[in-house]
Amino acid sequence: MAATAGGNKIRNAKLVLLGDVGAGKSSLVLRFVKGQFVEFQESTIGAAFFSQTLAVNDETVKFEIWDTAGQERYHSLAPMYYRGAAAAIVVYDITNAASFTRAKKWVQELQAQGNPNTIMALAGNKADLLEARQVPAEEAKAYAQENGLFFMETSAKTAINVNDVFYEIAKKLLQGQQVQNPQGGMVLNQRPPERTVSSSSCCA
Amino acid sequence: MDPPPNPNPNATDAQPQAEAGVRLAALSLRGGRDLPPDFEIHEHHLDDDDDDDDDDEGYLTAASRGGSSTCAWKGLRDDDRDGDGDDVSPPSPSSSGYAGERGSSLDDDPDPEPAQDWPRNKKHLDEDDASSSWRKRKKHFFILSNSGKPIYSRYGDEHKLAGFSATLQAIISFVENSGDHIKFVRSGKHQIVFLVKGPIYLVCISCTEESYEGLRGQLELMYGQLLLILTKSVNRCFEKNPKFDMAPLLGGTDAVFLSLIHAFSWNPAAFLHAYTCLPLAQPTRQAASAVLQDVADSGVLFALLMCEHKVISLVGAQKATLHPDDILLLANFILSSESFRTSESFSPICLPRYNPMAFLYAYVHFFDEHTYVTLLTTRSDAFYDLKDSRSLIQNVLLKSNVLIEVQRSLHESALHVEDLPIDPSSQSASQPPQSSQDMSSQSLSSEMAIGGPAGLWHFIYKSIYLDQYVSSEFPSSISNQKQQKRLYKAYQKLYASMHDKATGPHKTQFKRDDDYVLFCWITQDFELYAAFNPLADKTQAIKMCNRVCQWVRDLENEIFVYGESALSWQYHHCWGGK
Ligand SMILES: Nc1nc2c(ncn2[C@@H]2O[C@H](COP(=O)(O)OP(=O)(O)OP(=O)(O)O)[C@@H](O)[C@H]2O)c(=O)[nH]1
Ligand SMILES: [Mg+2]
Repeated sequence: MAATAGGNKIRNAKLVLLGDVGAGKSSLVLRFVKGQFVEFQESTIGAAFFSQTLAVNDETVKFEIWDTAGQERYHSLAPMYYRGAAAAIVVYDITNAASFTRAKKWVQELQAQGNPNTIMALAGNKADLLEARQVPAEEAKAYAQENGLFFMETSAKTAINVNDVFYEIAKKLLQGQQVQNPQGGMVLNQRPPERTVSSSSCCA
Repeated sequence: MDPPPNPNPNATDAQPQAEAGVRLAALSLRGGRDLPPDFEIHEHHLDDDDDDDDDDEGYLTAASRGGSSTCAWKGLRDDDRDGDGDDVSPPSPSSSGYAGERGSSLDDDPDPEPAQDWPRNKKHLDEDDASSSWRKRKKHFFILSNSGKPIYSRYGDEHKLAGFSATLQAIISFVENSGDHIKFVRSGKHQIVFLVKGPIYLVCISCTEESYEGLRGQLELMYGQLLLILTKSVNRCFEKNPKFDMAPLLGGTDAVFLSLIHAFSWNPAAFLHAYTCLPLAQPTRQAASAVLQDVADSGVLFALLMCEHKVISLVGAQKATLHPDDILLLANFILSSESFRTSESFSPICLPRYNPMAFLYAYVHFFDEHTYVTLLTTRSDAFYDLKDSRSLIQNVLLKSNVLIEVQRSLHESALHVEDLPIDPSSQSASQPPQSSQDMSSQSLSSEMAIGGPAGLWHFIYKSIYLDQYVSSEFPSSISNQKQQKRLYKAYQKLYASMHDKATGPHKTQFKRDDDYVLFCWITQDFELYAAFNPLADKTQAIKMCNRVCQWVRDLENEIFVYGESALSWQYHHCWGGK
């Protein structure tokens, strides 16, 4: 899926966000893509699609982001969105222990059903709400290490570490070349080939 | 379970009766937490602010979030009427195995944790059936399971209404168990209407003087909205576990139901079972329809271009027809969920009239604040194709100035009764089809002071063949919301009485009361509902109605959508598959 354009590589990478209702998935994406934060972000329906490019050194990663809904009724549809993903960000809310438990379940599911090459990040969101913290950073960090995830505490509200998570993922993608091994089978990552061509030609 | 004393032996068709109040009291099975004892004694609220409570605050801004709290079910304990303790255990949403219509391979989800409780203050979560404010609400809607578990309540926290829910369940189940169906109970100005849909019960308690048929139709739409979100396969969860707690599956959808309930009092589509179109010049609409048709030919089941609640164009794949109720529910779902406006999205959605069992996948994209395209497909892997289709559509809309015309129409093209042509037949003969911006300029304004000619205030015209309606703007005499809602209520009543199966469909009805003269005229081709000022002369009014019909026919190319495959629908009276 990589295209070369004037020596500048553009990689398309499918990225999915998973996590409990209200953990802040949409808020993180909106912060990253639009630089915005809204206090009363509405619960996501199904899944919302965004794209955003990120330059890493002389290379460019174009993220195709699936912001999934945390609502229970959509859980059975999650594979549709995470299958073939190059990267996944599992989000929990540091002020809500139940959301951390839920995050671990998502990690398990990804390990069991997802693409083994998927780069996984664990984001402890709402890091601005320290006084309400329920999940110790050390605990999450230890869990992330055991499971080969990289971990950051983020705040969509203050923007702390938000771009960093995506940047870290982009770097890992470029190092690991996982992008070039899309899993066979399903769905959302399959693009008509012209698309890559057109994106490279417009950057030439 | 011990059946409660039979509340009403003739419940199949509970008639309004003098002793209904006594009966209602008899329904109060368990003291304080059951039917509020003073349900029948606060009628004095009705007179002044009759309408303003039917669809009040918060339906648009409600930032609703679902999720059950871990402790919310404590309230159940004292209502564990069956004496079996199952109810008390904390909810385990994950045990539902609810998987929509996806394959079994996807069933093995990890167990989700109960989500955090979000403030949903717009629906008065502090209230329950013990609060006087709750009891004074003029129109309640409840959804509950046949085991008595609350699923949805318009007011108050569902969890706190467990006892009340159990009472409703007892009433319904008792009658059901004796092989009968309870339709409604009346008590003074209160009416309790029931709708049983398999394991799901819907109840409306209202003192709004709406007809039984009208309220029942509203419950049908509530059920349709629920199916749109979950499909009918949710019934399987009840087969596996009769005590299944369904409320968490509707997490975050309060705004959807609130906005539907609001629509009951402002949107004629809710009782007419027809949709309305945005007026547009024919070439403009054709440009939009042509590109939607191309998209439909490439494997999309339905393609809809809408502006708010009005259809700009819609196209279905071969033989696929879209029921007006599905359009209403789909538009309501999309417009009441802020989520769709944030970015393009791809979500499972069920069209209950099309197929209540299965999900379709909906690609939704807003071109501007009001205008959005919805592409529906059966393929879960179609996102990128639909995204490409959307670019195609967008290019055509921009090139043909459709979006600009839409904005213009939104502000200018409404039908005003003042514009009713004096002699429409001669006018239509001499004039070519007009572009949308001309539509409001062909006016005669001498009779402005009293609305349209001969005291005509307002009308709704429904084309039976097209399943579409058009309505005029409200005149200055019906300028505030309260008056508008009152008029719609009067239309709803008229609609119900015209379609009353017992007395046969009526052809015309002329009704005079303090507020207006109402006239209804039904033929094979159309239904016309018109309101005149209360002093209007009957002969004149009938003349005006003829003129309205002629006017509508003259404008039909601009105010209606004509599909190549006319999307009319053979009317089905029950939800498919049942
Ligand atoms: N203080 C604070 N609040 C946040 C932060 N991120 C999100 N929120 C708030 O948390 C709530 C939920 O955020 P969302 O982004 O909608 O959560 P989500 O994970 O997308 O939820 P679903 O779409 O329902 O699955 C919103 O009211 C946000 O304003 C954060 O970093 N700090
Ligand atoms: Mg979200």
